[in-house]
This record gives sequence, C-alpha cells and structure tokens, in this order.
Amino acid sequence: MKEKKEWTKARISIIAAIFVVGFGIIFLRAFQLQIVNKEHLGKKARLQYLKTIKINSKRGAIYDRNLKELAVSIEVPSVYAQPHKIKEPRRVAQRLARVLSTDRHSVLKNIRSSRRFVWVKRQVVLADEKKEELRGLSQAGIGMVKESRRFYPKGELAANLIGFAGIDSEGLEGVELYYDRYLKGSSMLIRTEKDAAGRTLLFEDVSARAEGMDVVLTIDGTIQYIVEKALKKAVEKTEARAGVAIVMDPYTGEILAMANVPSFDPNNFTRYSPSYWRNRAITDAFEPGSITKAFLLAAVIEEGLADRNDIFYCELGRYAVANTVFHDTRKYGWLSLRNIIKYSSNIGAIKLAERLGKERFYGYLRAFGFGSRTGVDLPGEATGLVRSPQRWSAITLDTMAFGQGLSTTAIQLVNAMSAIANGGFLMKPLIVKYIRNHEGQIVKRFDPVVVRRVISEETARRVTNILIGVTEDGGTGVLAGLGMGIKVAGKTGTAQKPDLEKGGYAEGRYIASFLGFVPARKPHLAIIIAIDEPRKGFSGGEVAAPVFKEIAKQALLYLGVFPEDGPTHERVTTVRKKDRNPLPENLAIERQVVPDFRGKTMRGVLDIAMQMGVEVNLRGSGTAVMQTPPPGTPLKKEGAIKVVFR
Amino acid sequence: MLKRNADRILIVSVFLLVALGVVMVYSTSFMVALERYGDKYFFVKKHIVYTLMGFGAFLVALKLPYRAYRSLAPALFVVAVVLLFLIFVPGVGHKVGGARRWIDAGFIRFQPSEVAKLGMVVFMAYLLERKKDRIQDFYTGFLPCVVLPAIPIALVMAEPDLGTSVTMAILLMVMAFIGGVKARYIGGLVVASLPLMYAVITSFDYMTRRIVAFLDPWKDPGGAGFQIIQSFLAFGSGGLSGVGLGEGRLKLFYLPEAHTDFIFSIIGEELGLIGVTAVIVLYAGILLSGMVIARNSREPFGTYLAAGITLMLTLQALINMAVVLGMLPPKGLPLPFLSYGGTSLMVSMASVGILLNIYTAEGDR
Repeated sequence: MKEKKEWTKARISIIAAIFVVGFGIIFLRAFQLQIVNKEHLGKKARLQYLKTIKINSKRGAIYDRNLKELAVSIEVPSVYAQPHKIKEPRRVAQRLARVLSTDRHSVLKNIRSSRRFVWVKRQVVLADEKKEELRGLSQAGIGMVKESRRFYPKGELAANLIGFAGIDSEGLEGVELYYDRYLKGSSMLIRTEKDAAGRTLLFEDVSARAEGMDVVLTIDGTIQYIVEKALKKAVEKTEARAGVAIVMDPYTGEILAMANVPSFDPNNFTRYSPSYWRNRAITDAFEPGSITKAFLLAAVIEEGLADRNDIFYCELGRYAVANTVFHDTRKYGWLSLRNIIKYSSNIGAIKLAERLGKERFYGYLRAFGFGSRTGVDLPGEATGLVRSPQRWSAITLDTMAFGQGLSTTAIQLVNAMSAIANGGFLMKPLIVKYIRNHEGQIVKRFDPVVVRRVISEETARRVTNILIGVTEDGGTGVLAGLGMGIKVAGKTGTAQKPDLEKGGYAEGRYIASFLGFVPARKPHLAIIIAIDEPRKGFSGGEVAAPVFKEIAKQALLYLGVFPEDGPTHERVTTVRKKDRNPLPENLAIERQVVPDFRGKTMRGVLDIAMQMGVEVNLRGSGTAVMQTPPPGTPLKKEGAIKVVFR
Repeated sequence: MLKRNADRILIVSVFLLVALGVVMVYSTSFMVALERYGDKYFFVKKHIVYTLMGFGAFLVALKLPYRAYRSLAPALFVVAVVLLFLIFVPGVGHKVGGARRWIDAGFIRFQPSEVAKLGMVVFMAYLLERKKDRIQDFYTGFLPCVVLPAIPIALVMAEPDLGTSVTMAILLMVMAFIGGVKARYIGGLVVASLPLMYAVITSFDYMTRRIVAFLDPWKDPGGAGFQIIQSFLAFGSGGLSGVGLGEGRLKLFYLPEAHTDFIFSIIGEELGLIGVTAVIVLYAGILLSGMVIARNSREPFGTYLAAGITLMLTLQALINMAVVLGMLPPKGLPLPFLSYGGTSLMVSMASVGILLNIYTAEGDR
C-alpha cells in the first residue's frame, strides 16, 4: 500500500514536470514572437494600420490681426465606396453619378476596383436631399465621411503670403506650410479591411478628433487690401512684369501687408502655374540700386565722416575709377551731403563710399541685415548676396555705393529701413501675432525681437532729416510726398537688371523701387514698393513713388493718423462699432449694387469695399458725406467709387 | 518550502490572476462595449459580478468537506450527463455561433460543459479510488475508466465542441495514468482514437478550415488565418515591455472578442513579454502548489481529486496559450481566471476552494 502511494506520487511528479515543460515551451514561443520576431511582426502590424484611411481633423483658421478670416476650414462630406459590398455596381454607379453629377463610367470603374475602400468624390457640397439619397445607398456599400475643406473667403487677398493647403489638409505653401504643425489637428485612422464580424468600421464622428490651432497674423486685412489694389493698378498701368510691396510697423517689426503681383486664387490654386504662387517679397533677391545710398548715408553719419551740409565734388557727371567711368544723370559740381541723397548722385555716393572704406561699408551692410536671412517665419526666404571685401574688385566699392554688385530681398530692405525709422534697432520681421487653440487659449505669442542696434538714435534722426529731402520739391522721390503736413522719409531706387544671358546689364530693364517710412518723425509705417520691369516709365521716382504715396495715404487714413497731429486715434476707435445696422451693406453685397457709404468712417468704407472687391477713391477725412455713383446703382467692373469725407 | 506554503502560493496566484482578469477584461472590452451597448463598462461590470459570485463559490467549496463529494460522485456523473443531454432539447439548449453550448435556465444561462468538466473530475477521482486495487487489470480496471467518461465526452463532441471534448479526454486520461492505469493502455487508446478524430474533423467544414489555417495562417490572412495572425501581430507589437495598459490597438477591430478567448494576446500586446511571463509563472504556481496538495493527501480520493482539479485548470491555460501563440489549432477555450465568462470563472473559483479544502483536511489530522 505504502509502495503504491509512492508510485502515485512519482506519477504526479512526472505529469507536473511535463506541464512545467509545457509552460516553458509557451514562454519560449512568446519570446520568439515578442523578441526575436518583434521587428518583423511589428512592421506587419504597422503596415496593417497603413491600410487605413486617414481622415484629417478640422484645420485651424488663419486670421488677420483684427480676427478677420483669411483661411477657414469647413466640413463637407466626402463620398466613399466599399466595392466588395456593392452587389449591383451598374445601378449604384448610375445613382451615384446622378446624385454627384459626375460621369457614370468613371464612377463605375472606380467602384469595381478590387480595393476595399475607394473615394468616389471628395469634399463635395451637397444639398440635404442628395445626402439623404446617399444615405439610402449605405447598405450597398456607399458611405459619407466628413472631411475638412480649405476655403479662402477673401480670394486672392494675401494669397502669396498665406499659401494654401491641399486636399488632404496639408499645408503646401506660405503660412499654411510654415505653420502646418499648428494648423493641422490630429487625424484619425479608419480601418478598411473587413473583420471577422463584418462590422462597419467607419465612424462619422468628427468631434472626437482634436482640432487644429488658429494662427493670427500680424497682417491687417484692410491695409493688405489697400496695398494690393494700389500695386496691381501700378503694375497694370506701367505694364510691368511683376511687383511686390511690404508694409511694416517699424517699431515692432510686424508685417502689416505683403503683396505680390501676379497673384492667384488659393481656392483654385491648381489652375495657376507655380510661378504665380511665389511670394517674391521673400524668395526673390534683386539688386537694390540707389536705395542702398540710404544705408551708406547712415554709415557715414554714424562714423562721423560727414554731416548734412558737408560738400562733395561730383566731378561734373564724369568720374573715372580704375578702368571704369561712372556717370550721373546730371552734371553736378559741388553737392552737399543732403543733396547727394536728394538728387541721388552716383558720383556723390562713390565719394561717400570712398571716405567710408571697404571694411566699414561691408560691416554696416551686414549690420543692417543684408546678406543674411531675416528669419521671418515664412518658407523659402532668400539670403541675398553681399560679398566680403576680400573678394571685391577694384570698383566694387564704387558700384555698391549706388547698389550694384549686391542683392537683397524686399523684406531685408524694408526691415533695414525700419531700423532707421525706429531709432536704430534692427528688428526681426514678424508675420504671426499669436497662435491659439480651438478653445481660444493663446498657445504661442510672438513678441517683438530686437536683433541688434545698428546706428544711434541721433544718427537715425539725422538720416531721417536727409531722407525727408528726397520727397520734397526737387527730390527724386517727390511723387511719394503726401503734403498736408505729413512728411515722408525715403529713397528711390532704379536698378538696371543684370542680363543673365550676355552678362553685364540689360538694356531698358529696370526694377523701380521706393523704400521709405511715414510719418517721417513719428513713423507708423515702413513701406517698400518694387516694380519689376515697368515699360511705361522706368525710374523709382516715377513708377514706385506714387504707389508709396497712395498706400501711405490710405493706410494712414485708415489707421487714423492723418493729419499728423490730429486727435484721430480716438475718433476711429469710437466709430468703429459700425455694425449697428449691417443689413444694407449685406444687401448691397448680395445684389451687387453700390452700397451706401454715407455716414461711415474711412475704415468702414474700406472694409465694405474690401468685402465687395470694389475700388474706392477716398477724398478728405472724417466721415463720408458724398459718393458717386449714388447708392443702389448697379456695380460696374471698371471705375472706382468716389467717396468724400468731411 | 513549497510544501508548507502550498496554500498561500495557490491563493496568491489565483487572486492575482483574477485581479489581472478584471483589468484586462476592461482594457479589451471597453471599445466593443461602447460600440455595441454605448456603455464602455458593460462587460467589465458583468465580469465584476461574476468575480464576486465566483468568490462566493470559492468560500462555499472551501467550507464543504471534500469527502462529501465521494458519496455524491455517482450522482454528479448522472447530473453531468443529463445537463449535456439537455443542450439538445429544443427550448432549453441555446445556440451560439452554430454550436449548442449553452443552457438557458430562465434566470441564468450557463455552459454545462464547464460544469460537467468539474463533475467528471470528481467522478473520475471516485472511480479511480474504487478501482485502485484492480486498476492494472484491463477489464475490471481500465475499461470502466474509459467507457464511463466516454459518455459525456461523446456528448460534448456532438455539440459540436471538439476542443472541449479533447481537453476532457486528455484530462481524464492523465488522471487515469496517475490513478495507476498502465501507460501502454492509454497509449493504445490514443492511437485508436486518431481515426475517429480525423472523421470528426473532416465531417465539420469549419473544423477543417481551422486546422488548415493553423498549419499555414499566412495562406489566407484575411480569412481563416485572420485571428491567429492578428494574435501574432499583437504579441509582436508588444515586445518586451508592451505598448502599455489600454493602449493596445489590435483589440479595437482586429481581434474580435479579445476579452474572451484571445485575452492572452492582448496581455502580450499591452504588457509585453514581462506580462506574459508573469501570467505563466502564476499558472505554474497553481500547478506546483496543486500538485503538492495532491501528493500530500493521505486519501487516494483527495490525491486524485486535487491532481484532477489542478490539471483541469492548468491544462486549459496551457491549451489556450498554445492556441493564441499558434501552436495548436484554434478552439474556443477560455483562459481560466482571466477570460470574460461567468460559468468558467465560477467553476474555476469553486475548484480552487475544493483544492484548499483538501489541503486543510490534511492539516486537521
């Protein structure tokens, strides 16, 4: 009996040992799958997730500084099919084609695909009854899912700056690209394989996804509108190839407007060639021409080498250096420093540069930010080119004095001029004011950044006084002058374009520019205008300066800093509540008739004009008292509406 | 050490597994529950109720002297057979997924095969004790130990539930081996039953497909091999330390019913090899402490019963784990203590109560 018991115990131990071995085998197998084959299986699992359809969440909006919408996302249905569920493809295709007004054959081809999931039509705007009809097809393997579609309510406005987003809600250009990380929310994955239970695996619940963040730009939509209108008009009038304009707040570095001609409609960006998408203000470097003299001037004064009334001999219009002879447009004898700038004498500038010397000239150009990126938060910024003095030829110093032999971007120029305007500080240009999440909390704020002090406040003041002369009677930039007690400081530029085929400079091809700030002694705006290859007129003073004037005038009116000493700020802010009776304007927009501007502030008038896309011609200041044509007349395509303010 | 602490090791192992079960049932079921019932706690709430009921069954079994089962054993055998018969009675038997495995008793639905399993273990222990002097004899010892258990096994097979019937057969044969039946008789029986198995498998289409899918799951990854491949991917994604509790993705759509039979795969995904190893160690704890209890019982009935119960629990665990790791053909067998399911949990908990009662009965003397 005892023996028997031991025998049983032994058998129990044998079985226990077998089971322990069994557990050991389980462990080894798990080890094999989880450690040895981890890479392989993990990849397989990831590939499986990739067979899913990515549905993006609602992309954040882009606003101007006054929270006007520049880019918004609206949720529209996308229609998909699960071909394996479709039993009667012909009938389904016919119905789909009718509801979606598309071609029946392409739909049929699509839904006969061997894939488990195909898009039939993405991002369609559908009436409710059509949606209802599509829901009726859900058993047949047709479904809808909400997708976010990008919409640019202001059309071309700031298009080159804002850029655009593609159909999958990914930023492709401009701010949309640069801030894609913030704008795009999380996406959700939807599996398309069938599972054992054959469940429908597609959700329509979009709310579960985290929405993208909103980007609020420093751009002021109204100023942007003013700038674009004026620039476009000028480019058309002078039959130029292209044009750029930037308006900057010189104290903060905030960009208030950045305009390009040609432009495009981001709602239909695919219809334009990519050259239309380019934001030339950032991506294109060009020879600045005589604008450079403003910075040469600043360097000379900062170094104490000359003052406004010191005189220089301008060689009667002919000056030979090395083997080259430099000319002035007129034969000047002795010119004071301020007149060299006022008349834009090349030979005078050469004399200044010679006094300054290579190293110092180079040093100041670099200090003003030329030859390096400004770091503005936009994609594709060009560096421009300022060679170091070791690589200069015998005449480089002389040519650079009037802006040949270096290249700069428009953003660099307006930023450098801002440093003169604000008392000597080079700022970092800002394009975004802040980023907020969809709950409205500010996630990231962009405060003004001082890069460095370039010149002293005293120098800045002196340079400004001399630059004011440019826009006064007899100066090259007289057409930029506003009169009415507002002084403009600036410099014209008329740069020959390099001939890329033959070398040297091309005959009769110029970049006409004006760079300045206003009001000169208490600047609100720094503005650059550059017109590429104008054919009617060629000089900066002739072509670009009037554009500066028009933009400066309207923008200052809008900002309420006109005239210079008036108590205009309060006035504008108190009457800003223009929405007391917004209906007539909306009605006018809807019916495409001339709206009633009377009783409105200049800002109100510009707002409406911007919304309607009509041109307005503003006279005087205060509130609108008269307009032609009168309210209610049908809108014509051509011709501005004249509005008189009092 | 093991001998003196067998009860503690057993209790700790079981309770850790039950606690992990509650967590994992929630982790694996909340998505399905939300989708189907709009309440992500739907399954875990029921599972907690089952756990409490299982705890009650455990306490009752703990207090009930195990010797009482000896006189009840013939009755239990009859009850098991009757229950398994009832499945085939229309209106009582409940069909789920093409097989009759459930009895609807009005207030509660349960799986009689789970109950029958325990009943048969008790009966087998009783039978082996009675026959122990003649056990080596073919006609009076071996044959009764084969013929009588064959009745319920055949009934389970007819449900059809090949997996459970094979599990029961293995379990009872191992008990017979411990009870002293000659190894060569058992070997002969296994060989003799192979043609029968083949006949059964080929007569049921779904079984054939399962076997084929087991042999080469990658051949039809979207169809028959789907589940097992998803299980592989779950283990592979988990790696050493897992993707984190509740973070598993495969349970969402890829491994349907992950809270029942494939809960071990999700443990592999979310807790990694570390979690998998811990579970294996806990089952090994149950195995070793149960076997110690069996060896130490002075009555043959206690020995056989303790061994039978221990093997019943650990064999199921072994088979379930082997299945989800792709080492055995797929079959619907829950993982004791971990899987969602009331009957299985209550029977398992009651079994542990009986085991501990056997242990304490020895201590009394």
